[in-house]
Amino acid sequence: MAKGGFQKRSKASSAIPTSSLADMAFLLLIFFMVTTTFPNDKPRRINWVEAKAAQKTSVKQKNILNVWMQKDGSVYINDQKWPMEEVHQYVAPIYAKSAKHLVIDVRGDRDVPYRFMDQLQKQLVAAGVVRVVFGAKLETQTQRERR
Amino acid sequence: MAILNQKKSKVSDEIPTSSMADIAFLLLIFFLVTTVFPKDKGLSVVLPEEGVTAQVPQKNILHLIIQPNCMVRVKHGEAAQEQIEQPADVQGVWRQTVADNPNLIAAVKTDPNAPYKCMMAVLDALKLANADRISLQMLGEK
Repeated sequence: MAKGGFQKRSKASSAIPTSSLADMAFLLLIFFMVTTTFPNDKPRRINWVEAKAAQKTSVKQKNILNVWMQKDGSVYINDQKWPMEEVHQYVAPIYAKSAKHLVIDVRGDRDVPYRFMDQLQKQLVAAGVVRVVFGAKLETQTQRERR
Repeated sequence: MAILNQKKSKVSDEIPTSSMADIAFLLLIFFLVTTVFPKDKGLSVVLPEEGVTAQVPQKNILHLIIQPNCMVRVKHGEAAQEQIEQPADVQGVWRQTVADNPNLIAAVKTDPNAPYKCMMAVLDALKLANADRISLQMLGEK
């Protein structure tokens, strides 16, 4: 009797089923492929400003709009040049669509005269944008000595 | 001789593949953990809403006037005298002044021809001094 019961038990498999392992791996892979977002514009060539207090912008990538300003004061948004007066017309609908979560990352060349920056800020205020990040590279000790 | 040959042929000449999945997962997890995406960095500022103007008494304002050569003219509220400072020294100025007056507001007024980096240097110094009430203006406007 006792011996028979023991034999019955030992028939149950003690191994973890591995047949669905590949499915799970693929599900994970597809999940991360779908949820990963990359910035949709190409970085422009600007001379970055440096700042010691620069902090990571802890905002989801899809809620960041990069606004590039080159040395001559020309504004580029999503790889396209925009006249200064039309910036607020372009930004306002994007801002509304993001339910006011949008953060503008202003990336200006270090040598752009401030009057262009001021115009840009006025455009952003006109578009209703509140949260702005002045993009900067983190300043390190060696860079400071060079300046 | 013949027995020896038979013995040798029993050794498998295939690479064992049963642990390949484990190795693949180890690699996957390793790269998942070590990958760092470049994060955007910058100084965050909250812009005022359109049409909203706040009236601030002069004594609560620290005027920081940025000149085209990057030097900063510092003026305390209604006081007439000014000091010329380096952008990096604004940090100390703010810390000293805010210790006396906790309601202090930094009014950064930049000359239209001053390069952007000068304004950023001052803003950086203010951020390093934990200033959170900052007003960005251009010189020559009301």
